Amino acid sequence: MKKTKSAKKNLVDDVFRGAEKVFSRSYVDMLRAKGHDFVEQEGRGSRVVDAAGNDCIDCYTSGGTFNLGRRNEVIAGRFRKAIDETDQGNFVMPSDYKALLARRLSEFVPGILDCVLFGVTRGESMDAACKLARGFTTRPELVTVDGGLYGECGFALSLSERAGREQFGGLIPGVKTVPFGDVEAARKAVTSRTAAFVMEPVQAENHCRTADEGYYRRVRDLCDSNGAKLIFDETQSGFGRTGTRFFFEQLGVQPDILIVGEAVTSGMFPMTAMVFTSELKRFFDAHPLIHLCTFGGHDLGCLVAMAALDEYDRLAPWENAAVLGGKLMKDLCALAAGHTKKVVSVTGKGLLISMRLKAEDQATRFCAVAQREGLLVDAGRMDRTTVLIRPSLLIDQEDAGRIGGIVGTTLGAL
Amino acid sequence: MTDGSGFRMDRQERDYMQHLFGKHISHGQVRYLRCAHLDVYERLRRGATFTDAVSGRQFFDCFSSAGCFNVGRGNEIIRDALKCALDGHDMGSHLLLSEHKVRFATKLSSLCPGDLNKVVLCASGADACAGAIKLAKGATGRNDVITMNKAYHGHEGYSLSANGKDYYKELFLPLMPGFHIVDFNDLEAVRRLASKDIAAIVLEPIQGEGGIHVATTEYIRGLRKICDEHGIMLIFDEVQTGFGRTGTLWAMEHYGVTPDIMFTAKSISGGLYPNGAVVYREIEPLVGYVEANPLFHTSHGGGSDLGCIVSSAVLDYIVENRIWENAAKAGKRFKEGLERIWSENEDCVKEVRGLGLMIGIEYKYEFIGALMADCLAKQGVWAVYSGNAPQVMRFQIPITAGEGEIDELLRRIRAAVKTMRWYLLPLLPLAKVPPIRMLLDNIHVQIIAFNLVRDIEELVLRFVPKK
Repeated sequence: MKKTKSAKKNLVDDVFRGAEKVFSRSYVDMLRAKGHDFVEQEGRGSRVVDAAGNDCIDCYTSGGTFNLGRRNEVIAGRFRKAIDETDQGNFVMPSDYKALLARRLSEFVPGILDCVLFGVTRGESMDAACKLARGFTTRPELVTVDGGLYGECGFALSLSERAGREQFGGLIPGVKTVPFGDVEAARKAVTSRTAAFVMEPVQAENHCRTADEGYYRRVRDLCDSNGAKLIFDETQSGFGRTGTRFFFEQLGVQPDILIVGEAVTSGMFPMTAMVFTSELKRFFDAHPLIHLCTFGGHDLGCLVAMAALDEYDRLAPWENAAVLGGKLMKDLCALAAGHTKKVVSVTGKGLLISMRLKAEDQATRFCAVAQREGLLVDAGRMDRTTVLIRPSLLIDQEDAGRIGGIVGTTLGAL
Repeated sequence: MTDGSGFRMDRQERDYMQHLFGKHISHGQVRYLRCAHLDVYERLRRGATFTDAVSGRQFFDCFSSAGCFNVGRGNEIIRDALKCALDGHDMGSHLLLSEHKVRFATKLSSLCPGDLNKVVLCASGADACAGAIKLAKGATGRNDVITMNKAYHGHEGYSLSANGKDYYKELFLPLMPGFHIVDFNDLEAVRRLASKDIAAIVLEPIQGEGGIHVATTEYIRGLRKICDEHGIMLIFDEVQTGFGRTGTLWAMEHYGVTPDIMFTAKSISGGLYPNGAVVYREIEPLVGYVEANPLFHTSHGGGSDLGCIVSSAVLDYIVENRIWENAAKAGKRFKEGLERIWSENEDCVKEVRGLGLMIGIEYKYEFIGALMADCLAKQGVWAVYSGNAPQVMRFQIPITAGEGEIDELLRRIRAAVKTMRWYLLPLLPLAKVPPIRMLLDNIHVQIIAFNLVRDIEELVLRFVPKK
């Protein structure tokens, strides 16, 4: 027994030494500061297990990716079979796997978004969306809101307000950033030169920031009256996370292009997509193969995503997210009221909840203490004073109660 | 099979799939591929071949998804590694550490020449290209980048800006500022631009989409010298040339030159699970920059647990089987065979070039690319012409292909050329008239004309009784 424990410790030491060498020392230090200095061994349902065999409730879910739990058994089973059926395929070919998934995804997404272009990362899909808007409208300008985070690729980074982007010199020209929620600023920014208005309807990494419902409708109207396209990035808010399949359903506003993230496979396969109207597809029809992605629409990934979509439909996890999210929010608000010196506010939708603390170092310490108590959480990337709580959408009452309990203990220990 | 994609398809099912693909993805893409009989639905993907779901015909895969299947399609060892991994793993948590992430990154760096010791895990070639350019810009504090005419690096904002073909860019302008495009293999052009404003020079040692252009040793060594003189980061795109494709593990080994930054993807995942990487030298200012900015380029889908397990298995397979040696040997046999075909068809073939199993045939006219793709498809060879140079047919068969397969492939290519010569009888004289040649080279004209021919062919086939 002793030997096993020591072997596990050696493994952890080896991994961290190796990571310092091959990645960077500061990256490892950053993980240590957040209490994330453990070696992830495997995921099981709502739990993540480290190399030492400790498990904790996964409320990070890789940025809201594992909506159907860690290593969902049904999807994994279908995945295993698919490995003998297919591989990634030749990416320029008109594969039936791509066609079937595109139809399935377009049926899953409410409304008139009938067409799909697959990607591998959120950033690549956002870049594709901006290109489609520019290409279709023949206009150069992109309008976005402040505090957004869309990924690390060229267009996505140019639209994001993440710290440090000035290190990369000039970015994509023609991007205007306006204050989120400010209708007047949006009205001034959207003109006949605007290709698209881009936003995350919920800024998950920015304290789950949203605008008034009227704002989204006004932006939709502005786009319509100026011939611009509306792009929503629902990488983190999609696939049931906020209590409906997609958050835009709660707004009564439909985008022209929707970005969906890795939750499309519930974190079993790196796949993202942009889903868009058939009107916009005319651009791709007229310019075949103008935007390519070798791993985008990977045949094997398509089968995995189809299995995940079947599970989403079967389980309707958005219903659980709405109910348990409401309960958890109530519990966390009560905790916040009891810790007013530490907690500034709690906000969120469904099982996408953000707690703002007094300072950045408090949020970092919260992550470390919570991890020791059995809860894996991460700080917001845009608002670093926040901690995000975004568990599997399949958690039960008991898990929800435990999450609230650990948050309470953690706040007490801070 | 399940999910509606049966093992075999009849024509009606295929037409329905084409309808679905056209309705939900791109009707234009279907028409584009259909015109050269490239609208094949792949089944039984094994080794260097796959079969067409409609005809049941076996095809040699000479595209390999632009060089993704170096270890052979459906490689059993890699498939088993992925199946085993599914017992305990998923993508893993982005930004957290796992044994598999570190093991793969360490293994990859140990296989790179010189002091290419540090790794950033990415999700795709384009994502890795963005990471490499951002690393160079961030580390040098400079903005401008030199890239090559006809270069192809991807379609996201950075890689698109670095591409050397207007078709991919002109409808999406304006792109990243400060990208300067020069002719490939023109050292003087680079020398004229080199200055303290340039962060990086980015190039593929062998241009794939650009038409299989091989950099000369003098050029690559000259670039290294210029970069050293001006503090510029030399970046190699080894997305297509890496993992043994050119007869060495990395194309850079042909030149004895180590770049400051190298990025790769495609074959890294054995054609089964997306992954990618930036590998950089353990030197300043690169290391200092990353230490100060460890999250300068994060990639959610890159370096996943499943991806790293698969990629580790791919690296082990490549090294244990030294598959680059087969690429060199089979590549020599294949190139010599193509050169013999060239010598017999000098009126339409301009050149055969390449390294290892990354070989291109350049025809004298652009329109021959689509025509030859069509003739090859009819012979059971799936090959596409270069995206950035339609007159160049690329051959990138999985590098595990044996001598017998190479000989059979050459036989089929020879037969395809023979068929093509019948088409060329009227077309070559017409192509000498500039306006007609312009029409023939026009992709839109080709799509309309070939689809018309295909419609007639399909109509005739409807009346042919099934065997």
